[in-house]
Amino acid sequence: MKGKIIWKNTGLFLLFAGPSLFAFTVVFLIPFLVGFYLTFTKWDVIRNDGSFVGFVNYVAVMRDKAFWTQLWFTIRYVFFTVIISNVLAIAIALALTSGIKGERWLRAGYFTPNLIGGIVLGYLWQSLFSRVLPYLGQKYGWALFQTSWLTNTDKAFWALVIATSWQLAGYLMIIYIAGFTGVPKDIVEAAKIDGAGNFAILRKIVLRLAVPAIVVCVFLSLSRSFLTYDLNLSLTKGGPFNSTELATFYIVQMAFQSNQYGVGQAEAIVLFVVVAVIALTQSYLLKKLEVES
Amino acid sequence: MKPRKRFAVLAVCLVLLLGLLAGCSGKSGGNTDSNAGGTSGGGTGTPTSTPSASGKQIKITFFNTSAEVNEVFEKLFAKYHEVNPNVTVELIPTPIGGAQIEIFQSRLASGNPPTISNLDPSHIYVYRDKFLDLEPVKAKYEELTLPGAVEGGILDGKFLGIPWTAQGYGLLYNKRALEEALGGPFDPSTIRTRDALKELLDKVQAAMGVPPVMIHGADWSLGAHYLGALGFSLQSRDMNENLKYWEDVKAGRAKLADNPVFNGLLDTFDILKEYNYRKNDPLVANYELDGQDFAKGNAAFYFMGDWLWAVIGSMEGRDSEFGVLPVPISNNPDDYGNGQVAFSHPKLFAVDNSAATPEEQQAALEFLEWMLTSEEGQKAITEEMGLTMPYKNVKATSSNAIAKAIGEYVEKGETINIGVINYFPTDYWAKTGASMQKYLAGAINRDQLFQEVQAYWESVE
Repeated sequence: MKGKIIWKNTGLFLLFAGPSLFAFTVVFLIPFLVGFYLTFTKWDVIRNDGSFVGFVNYVAVMRDKAFWTQLWFTIRYVFFTVIISNVLAIAIALALTSGIKGERWLRAGYFTPNLIGGIVLGYLWQSLFSRVLPYLGQKYGWALFQTSWLTNTDKAFWALVIATSWQLAGYLMIIYIAGFTGVPKDIVEAAKIDGAGNFAILRKIVLRLAVPAIVVCVFLSLSRSFLTYDLNLSLTKGGPFNSTELATFYIVQMAFQSNQYGVGQAEAIVLFVVVAVIALTQSYLLKKLEVES
Repeated sequence: MKPRKRFAVLAVCLVLLLGLLAGCSGKSGGNTDSNAGGTSGGGTGTPTSTPSASGKQIKITFFNTSAEVNEVFEKLFAKYHEVNPNVTVELIPTPIGGAQIEIFQSRLASGNPPTISNLDPSHIYVYRDKFLDLEPVKAKYEELTLPGAVEGGILDGKFLGIPWTAQGYGLLYNKRALEEALGGPFDPSTIRTRDALKELLDKVQAAMGVPPVMIHGADWSLGAHYLGALGFSLQSRDMNENLKYWEDVKAGRAKLADNPVFNGLLDTFDILKEYNYRKNDPLVANYELDGQDFAKGNAAFYFMGDWLWAVIGSMEGRDSEFGVLPVPISNNPDDYGNGQVAFSHPKLFAVDNSAATPEEQQAALEFLEWMLTSEEGQKAITEEMGLTMPYKNVKATSSNAIAKAIGEYVEKGETINIGVINYFPTDYWAKTGASMQKYLAGAINRDQLFQEVQAYWESVE
């Protein structure tokens, strides 16, 4: 009897979770483990020689100054992207849950950037930053836009942040809208009767009750911007002079252009650890703010 | 009790799944091994892979890094299939300027390499153990091609790649714009020294009212074509001497900063920089726009090569006549490089020898010969792709005006052999190009530039 139930449960589990578990294992878990193993070998495509070399690759990572520079560049990029995209998303979500006209259309509109692939989006912003804005800048004498943003390290940094935030905001907005509409109306009404202003309601009730949404959104934006590659490739190509290479871009260059697979893979593991530590810490800390209504 | 049971179920599932996967991966692992065995077995082409379809149908794959002409190749493949119904050629396309070599590497690593690869010589050199030695057809191609072309396909002493296109580059000029600025005809042979070039640029700038030289601020143009290829190739007319100098630089025995060629090259670069049309924002590097401004005569000069034709050939309202000047690196008109333009065979067709069967290799060689010698093939390459074929009796004429101008130097033998770059590591243009970009933008001075570039070369194994 008991055995039968177990088998039934197993079957049910496999039916629903099997496909995704299979995909997860094949495209994520196994490559990850194999990749981890590769960091201890000197394997590359040319020699196909997988002999064990211990921690040599990790020592090389420690010595690779450019990697740490670009990792720090990435962390700054993620910091600003997460803040800007989330603030933007919350603002849009609040506006679009306040009952203005054409809400649905606007929601769809803001979400659209997400449906555009990173590469296309990158080229779009590239022509905006390197053609349209300099043209307008020269015509009207705006000093800020007279040269392309993509040829200056600092400005190219902000170009990356702006383009990513613009894309992410629409996606996060959907989650925030769901979070905000889930806030019980009676509490808000009670607060109003007690004389709370709009800002107080937002800060003390809506945002507090939407903490689960915030946790999800911060986590998503964090991990997605840490792993940005396509946008980086099409928007700045790492330029000017390789100064805007995000960590993933740098790793790909290291492995495929410089043929240093072991080092590149070891850098990918370092990046993984950094992302995991930051993402888990923030979601642990933010979760503490969660309250029940 | 209950949670533990659920956990057990989960564990069972995981074990089942992992077992299944282990089975899969075990199988593919075996395949890779057998391929690896074939590779180490040497260049005899032992048939290690499974005998392909019992019929006569042969499918070969064609990996293409000349991405801008993907469609022309596909049309050619279809035509060949009509002539030879037994052979199907399938294109493995790559994106323009995107992840090209990554695709090749993943193919190779998964034991599924393309039968024919259209690659840069330097990539063929890196993967030289994977390609078929074309010794048996070498004599045939020596017959078919212009002198020097087969040498371009010899890497590490072996004929590994069949040359099919030739390219040259230098300081291109727009004839109409230049002659209008000068108010009379222009004779390119008068520019053989740096001072003569400076004088010319000065005159043209005064007449046109804008700096007349277009410098494309991309790492490949600055790092590979300007600094790397010219710098190392102009050391001597003998390529082996150039290789030796390069070895010395890598070992730290020779310093770029003390080298007259590199210093001369950068002295000239300083002048070009001074007259740079994109002075205000030198790193925009928009290939279409730069080509357009040159083709329409807004900028009279452009440091670029005949491949530019792919962009400007079909442009509306462009000028029709273009010429090319050498980049003078000194004030002695007889110095090597002051009267020559760089010329090379930038892409080669190589045939796989790591997984392809002898039948596939044979079919690949036959197909390549058809493409390079038949009228359809030659027409497609010269007319549709706008490329120059280093072959005798080409049955079609190219419309490429820049290639024609470079051809005049080729006929006189006034070319620079940049073969030394075939031995450079594949990331050199990105790394040294970044330093050149800094120099172009004024972020570093010449000492720092030499320091960075020297440090890069010394870090290369």
